[in-house]
Amino acid sequence: MFKKILFATSATEASDHAARVAFNMAGTLGATLNIFHVLGVPTRGFSQVVLDVKTKEEVAVDGEYISWVEEEIKNYYANQLANCANCSIKASVGVPHREILRQAREIEPDLIVLGGTTGSEEDSVYKASTGSTLQRVAKASPCPILAVNRPAASFWGGLSNIVFGTDFSKASDKAFEFAFKMATSLNGELHIFHALDITPKNMGMSMPQDEIDHKIREAYKMIRSKYISKMKDFKNYSMNVWEGIPYVEIVKYTREKQADLIIMAHNSRKLDADGPKIGSNMEQVIMRANCPVISVNR
Amino acid sequence: MPEGIFCNKKPIETQEELTALLGDTSGTQYYKEMKELDIDTKLLWTTIQNTCKSRIRTWLEICAHCGMCADSCFLYLVNDRDPKQVPAYKIQSTLGEIVKRKGNVDNEFMRMAMETAWAKCTCCNRCGIYCPHGIDVGIMFGYLRGLLYQQGFVPWELKIGAGMHRVYRAQMDVSEEEFVETFQWMVEENEEEYPGLTVPVDVENADIMYTVNAREVKHYPEDLAEAAILFHAAGENWTITSKGWEQTSLAMFAGDWAACKMQVENVYAAMERLKPKRMVGTECGHAHRATVVEGPYWAGRQDGRPPVECIHYIEWLAEALREGKLKIDPERRIKVPVTLQDSCNYVRNHGLREVAREILSYIVEPGYYREMSPNREHNFCCGGGGGFNGIGLFRPQRNKGLITKRDQILATGAELVIAPCHNCWDAIRDLEEEFEIGIKWSFLKPLVVSMLELPDHMKPEE
Amino acid sequence: MYEFITGFMFWLALGVCLIGMAVRTILYFKGLRWNLDRVAYRAYPARGFKGAIRSIYKWILPFGTHGWRKQPFMAVLFFSFHIGAVFVPLFLLAHNLFLKEKLGFSLITINGGVADFLSWLVIITLILIILRRLALPEVRILTNWYDYLIILISAAPFITGLLARYEVGNYSFWLLAHIISGEILLFAIPFTKLSHIFLFFASRAQLGMDYGIKRGGLRGTVMDW
Repeated sequence: MFKKILFATSATEASDHAARVAFNMAGTLGATLNIFHVLGVPTRGFSQVVLDVKTKEEVAVDGEYISWVEEEIKNYYANQLANCANCSIKASVGVPHREILRQAREIEPDLIVLGGTTGSEEDSVYKASTGSTLQRVAKASPCPILAVNRPAASFWGGLSNIVFGTDFSKASDKAFEFAFKMATSLNGELHIFHALDITPKNMGMSMPQDEIDHKIREAYKMIRSKYISKMKDFKNYSMNVWEGIPYVEIVKYTREKQADLIIMAHNSRKLDADGPKIGSNMEQVIMRANCPVISVNR
Repeated sequence: MPEGIFCNKKPIETQEELTALLGDTSGTQYYKEMKELDIDTKLLWTTIQNTCKSRIRTWLEICAHCGMCADSCFLYLVNDRDPKQVPAYKIQSTLGEIVKRKGNVDNEFMRMAMETAWAKCTCCNRCGIYCPHGIDVGIMFGYLRGLLYQQGFVPWELKIGAGMHRVYRAQMDVSEEEFVETFQWMVEENEEEYPGLTVPVDVENADIMYTVNAREVKHYPEDLAEAAILFHAAGENWTITSKGWEQTSLAMFAGDWAACKMQVENVYAAMERLKPKRMVGTECGHAHRATVVEGPYWAGRQDGRPPVECIHYIEWLAEALREGKLKIDPERRIKVPVTLQDSCNYVRNHGLREVAREILSYIVEPGYYREMSPNREHNFCCGGGGGFNGIGLFRPQRNKGLITKRDQILATGAELVIAPCHNCWDAIRDLEEEFEIGIKWSFLKPLVVSMLELPDHMKPEE
Repeated sequence: MYEFITGFMFWLALGVCLIGMAVRTILYFKGLRWNLDRVAYRAYPARGFKGAIRSIYKWILPFGTHGWRKQPFMAVLFFSFHIGAVFVPLFLLAHNLFLKEKLGFSLITINGGVADFLSWLVIITLILIILRRLALPEVRILTNWYDYLIILISAAPFITGLLARYEVGNYSFWLLAHIISGEILLFAIPFTKLSHIFLFFASRAQLGMDYGIKRGGLRGTVMDW
């Protein structure tokens, strides 16, 4: 299913959980792993100087410096690399999300595993364009991306128990195809889930229970027609519709099902002008989930 | 030691030389060699005799030493009114001395002149409009830079920058293929969201030929995508050119006039090959100045005009909004206090003082726009013009130079600064990094894209 | 002596001044290079001319420019001095009587009171200009002996003229000194910074053409001096 994985890492603690997942997956699935690190963000106008994201120092980047950073990464992941048959390392310079996308365009991976960012994305080096690195990669990525936020989420049993969260959008259809393919090819379970958003939107008016019940019935109908009908003789599934705050419900549901992977569509076309603080539904799930989250865009 | 390995009088001509010079991290050896570099005084004096004609000679002679230029210079103001930062003093003590001594100056003098020419003047030309005699010190510093470049006394980054233009005909190592490829990539990335989005390459007789800044290709290709989206939304018949796509000229900052000519002729050749009705350049100030304002003269065009009509991005944008080719959703107009940075290179130096304001009248909710003071052709340099932004050696001086702009912005109370110029954008970004005054800054393209009312045929299918 | 300095020397000084400045002005404009200056002077003569005239006009108008308005003290000094320095030599009755005798024509004249006032104005403003030079660090750093020499050459005819006017001590001595200093001034004009009497207009015209043609003029932007 995944032959080539691109692991975008800060090569710091912030990416350790993601690293665990990435190396695990590569090992279990026999995929090649390309470890990719954006070492610096261009600064100082037109010059070759970049701000090293790790040391926060301005450095003039040349071939030598890049090799040195690549060597550093090799040392950082020495243990994991010892057991990794098909691993390669590449360091590059630029605006992180753009360089990750550029690398993805070049090597055409089946999955991007996204590590954490060094330091805060509040830094002005990141403020140059709108949205977080995650949002921006998710928006434009040619393949699904996997993100791990909490350490707990990285102690991962396997790939057998998948939650697919849907909002019935077109992107969700794509995410379903992907989730279904994954469940069948890995012989796992698939839990299809929809959260009915009942957060008071207009002047704090909450939804009457009758309406909620009605909408839940509709959602089940949708799941049946949109997804179950396409699953043919695949039997190892369940479906549920809960009401609440979508990202909370999906995290609760995942915990109950003891799932080890969440698959969702990254639906939002808009980037968050206010940066990573607020974040989309998907980012909230990533932040809270006890397992890795795969976001599917197209 | 007369000529160094890196620091010498010979411009960069090949990729190998470029790589070698880039390998001298931060120019450590380069600047060490510069201390030993000999001056070809004969060449210096002959060049002056051939090129320093009545305009500059008269300026140097009739300067009344009245000091009225002092207050016009932001570097004088931010450096605690240091008399050594008075424009007249800066030029008299450098170019004035060289002319007076008929080129007989030593190495130490030349290094002092280099620091003065690149760290004490951004060639913003503001002093010229405050001098009763009409003495434009910025122009003279531009001229001095040429003399210094010829003798090898040029900041490391600018020697590289000029070399980039000589080797790649672009300010960064971006090849023609990479440019087209990146543009196509950006279109692919956005075509789902904007159905029908394309990037026409090398189309003849188009209405618009679009030229860019290599930095967009290298680091911020979103800018290319936004340009494509806006041309597409406006229904323009546009094209990019695979050769001659780079509009900027670091050679102009370096004083490498030969490279300036090579660079601009490359763009003009594209115009002559594709015969577009007009050329539109990206949101860059010095690119416009290099290709549209100064370029014709480097290329020897006596009418002072490029081969086809060339306009700045803001001129196209204002026109598209005015004529209704682009429609703004009034709901999504800017509703935070916002100000505008006037770029010296096309406002003071090309008279485009009202164009950006017209655009803002369409995209800012009434009541939210704040003028900087001073503004228009009297505006101060962003603090990073003329190559200042990119020179590592003069970084502390540059950072100090940002204070003027910081205070101007703070006085407006704006939360967003619109800077339709790469240099200004960089400087404002850096001043936020340096002083953290809590502002945002932006080019016009992303703002307009975000508030565009798309024509039906361009709406994504849901 | 008096004959010599009001005769041969006068003619020589006037000739050197006028011919010298004519030559310098012609050389100035001949030395303008469209390719080196990067201004297409010849391609747009009408626009260039308009730009030049505007650039001169705005700056000889008291408080006509941002620069003057920004520095009102300097503007007052500048205009007071230059009005005196131009009007008194050209329009003083005595000078015109002399001119009539020598050249057979005279210019309009100003009355004695006004002439006295303007002469004192020149002296006072020159003193203030010297004080400004000494007091302001940004002007002090630019100042050298040459600037004081120029001030001295310009002030001398006024000082001697006033001394003669009020007949302090020996009138004919001061008159002689006045004529000699006036002639020195005439000689100095083409060869010193005083050439700005003409080259001010040339230089302002040049920048006016620059803005009138290249820096926005062709686009129809009128420079806000």
